Amino acid sequence: MPTAEPNDVPPPRWKEDFPITWEGDAYILRRELAKFLTLGSGLLAATSALIAIVGKWFWRPTLEGPRTRIARVSDVARGGTLLFRYPTDEDPCILIRDTDGSFRAFSQVCTHLACAVVHAPDQNKLFCPCHHGWFDGTSGRPTAGPPTRALPRIRLDVVRDEIFAVGREV
Amino acid sequence: MHTQRQGITLFTAILALIATLVIIQLWLVTAALDGLLSGEVGVALPGAIASFVLFLANGGLLLHALRFDRRLQRGRSHGER
Repeated sequence: MPTAEPNDVPPPRWKEDFPITWEGDAYILRRELAKFLTLGSGLLAATSALIAIVGKWFWRPTLEGPRTRIARVSDVARGGTLLFRYPTDEDPCILIRDTDGSFRAFSQVCTHLACAVVHAPDQNKLFCPCHHGWFDGTSGRPTAGPPTRALPRIRLDVVRDEIFAVGREV
Repeated sequence: MHTQRQGITLFTAILALIATLVIIQLWLVTAALDGLLSGEVGVALPGAIASFVLFLANGGLLLHALRFDRRLQRGRSHGER
């Protein structure tokens, strides 16, 4: 016949994590979940720090696409636009000429749902008519409506009367 | 004298707070990653600092709850003696 344990021996520690009562179970469950969530919080903070480090020291906008002649300077009037395809025939882009004569170009594909954006020269903006998204005409950044990402910029090189696309910022 | 019932209430409240802060941290990670992929790297550093502050807040809340837990255990072991 087994002998009873003496009263002064404390129960083993592990037994505290496996309580018999519902109240004890609820207590342990919440305590462990709080620990687990705090661990998750630490991982999220570490992930944010990693993103910041990558953004600060390792992230460079890369260029893709060949050097391609897209137009002559005289083809685009001051304050006007010209549509072209770059880097492939599947990628519509828009070339904008300012009233001061400078050029800039962006992908014409809206970063929201891929409709074609059009230039609104009176406001110096690019407008997506599908869902009324607006982009800044100088930087390509979204200013209003559903888009949250900037339009990819096309790097240009103007040599005498020729305008070349030399890369798309990705 | 602390009771387990008080502990349940405390842990439930702290869990709700920690979960809310974790959801904010998730949003910060999403925003920082989205910014990074769209070339807006300036968002990432403030996001990381805010996320770290939220983690410290979560750690403080957990420590407070665990201190309560320790007091509860101590009280229980004194009661058993």
